[in-house]
Amino acid sequence: MDEVASVAELIKNFAVIYIVDITEVPDFNTMYELYDPCTVMFFFRNKHIMIDLGTGNNNKINWALKDKQDFIDIVETVYCGARKGRGLVISPKDYSAKYHY
Amino acid sequence: MATLADSFLADLDELSDNEADILEEEDVDAGNMEEDVDGELAGLESLNYDDLDSVSKLQKTQRYNDIMQKVEDALQKGSENSDHGIVLEDDPEYQLIVDCNALSVDIENEIIIIHNFIRDKYRLKFPELESLVHHPIDYARVVKRIGNEMDLTLVDLDGLLPSAIIMVVSVTASTTSGRPLPEDVLGKTIEACDRALALDSAKKKVLDFVESRMVYIAPNLSAIVGSAVAAKLMGIAGGLSALAKMPACNVQLLGAKRKNLAGFSTATSQGRVGYLEQTEIFQSTPPALRMRACRVLAAKSTLAARVDSTRGDQTGKTGRALRDEIRKKIEKWQEPPPPKLPKPLPVPDSDPKKKRGGRRLRKMKERYAVTDMRKLANRMQFGVPEESSLGDGLGEGYGMLGQAGSGKLRISAAQSKLAVKVAKKFKEKQYGSSGATSGLTSSLAFTPVQGIELTNPQAHAHQLGTGTQSTYFSETGTFSKIKRN
Repeated sequence: MDEVASVAELIKNFAVIYIVDITEVPDFNTMYELYDPCTVMFFFRNKHIMIDLGTGNNNKINWALKDKQDFIDIVETVYCGARKGRGLVISPKDYSAKYHY
Repeated sequence: MATLADSFLADLDELSDNEADILEEEDVDAGNMEEDVDGELAGLESLNYDDLDSVSKLQKTQRYNDIMQKVEDALQKGSENSDHGIVLEDDPEYQLIVDCNALSVDIENEIIIIHNFIRDKYRLKFPELESLVHHPIDYARVVKRIGNEMDLTLVDLDGLLPSAIIMVVSVTASTTSGRPLPEDVLGKTIEACDRALALDSAKKKVLDFVESRMVYIAPNLSAIVGSAVAAKLMGIAGGLSALAKMPACNVQLLGAKRKNLAGFSTATSQGRVGYLEQTEIFQSTPPALRMRACRVLAAKSTLAARVDSTRGDQTGKTGRALRDEIRKKIEKWQEPPPPKLPKPLPVPDSDPKKKRGGRRLRKMKERYAVTDMRKLANRMQFGVPEESSLGDGLGEGYGMLGQAGSGKLRISAAQSKLAVKVAKKFKEKQYGSSGATSGLTSSLAFTPVQGIELTNPQAHAHQLGTGTQSTYFSETGTFSKIKRN
């Protein structure tokens, strides 16, 4: 998730990325269950948008994505769905087998 | 130009007095022709080809000898007296330069006339040589070297011509239709060659002199193209004011060699550049940019020549500024393109898909449209089990296809809607058909239920669109109120 800055430039026309340190701002830790080292959540006009990633947890992404393009695709899907009024969008890539044994 | 007229006239054996009169008139119009040159042209009227002196008189004229003498003196004196004063026209050397320019043009014309003379004489001996060697001075040198020799292997042409052309000349000479010249004719020809070469060396001297003085005459032009090329340009244009009056496209072509010998490749020939090819700027540009560079060079050097002809800038500063401008332009062309900036992605779904329409698209869509056959197959009669490809309800169902009681027994390929429209346009050409669309259909057919069945020619097979026989929703209907003629 360290290439977030370069991604921010690419998607700046439809998405803005805020990086929040949960140790400094612990106000939302219980509300959104922010306990992992890194969590990505999506909001559109003050509404939380859920993504069906196949992992069982539709609220957030709490692992490191391998590919920058994957992240951009997810953001685009969220944007398109949220603009249409959907609260749940389906991720273009399935992460149910993200832990390859 | 009168000189071209001269050479054409010299070529013609029969000269009428009329032509000579017209020539005289043209001659009078060209104001810078002097008395003795007039006399030279009058000599053309009564052309006696055996006598070289009647053809070429320039070397005998006083003017020629005067100027050559002055040039020799000036060349020996070297370049002194840098104090030229403000009004350069009064300087005797400037007048000499102007005379030299006119003289160099005259010398060139003279050389052409002598070349014609030599060529006419030498035609008896070696007629093909004139088409192989174009340059007059080269021709004269070769003629002098060959002389009356019939066997060219004994003649050494090295250094006179490029070796490829020497080869062609030798080969042509072995099959030439010429015969050796008589002694006196040969003598005259050699004398003419000598004269041509003498004129050529005189021209070189004149050009050298002009070149050495060029920095004082035309400082701006010499700043851009260099004094040698500037001298050549001035010489061939016939003076600084003549050069200044030319448009830049002509300046580019001054001194351009025109002919390419037949049979040699033209792929490597640099077309459309003259003396400007010899400038340092041109030589230092990469070959890909050379044509653009020579156009810029011609334009700026024309500007510099115009400044010089009006003596606007004696110091040459304008010329140096123009030269820097040219250099900067050429450098800019060679810059690599700017690196591509990474563009942010466009907003998804922001632009609605551009749906195209039109005849072409409709025809394309027709290829994938649902056909009448498929429509019939998709529908079923009520209460009647449909036939299927594998029988007994297995396989693909046939629906209404081929059922008894339908108007058509064989489904022919339906005409596309566009074709129908076109057909309606030319309604008068349509003959009244009974409904059968191809000549192979017959009214008689065998059906499984009723055995033999006759098609009803009046029944329109458009069960699909016109279930109620309504023309309002007809697929091929038109506006009812608008009269179609």
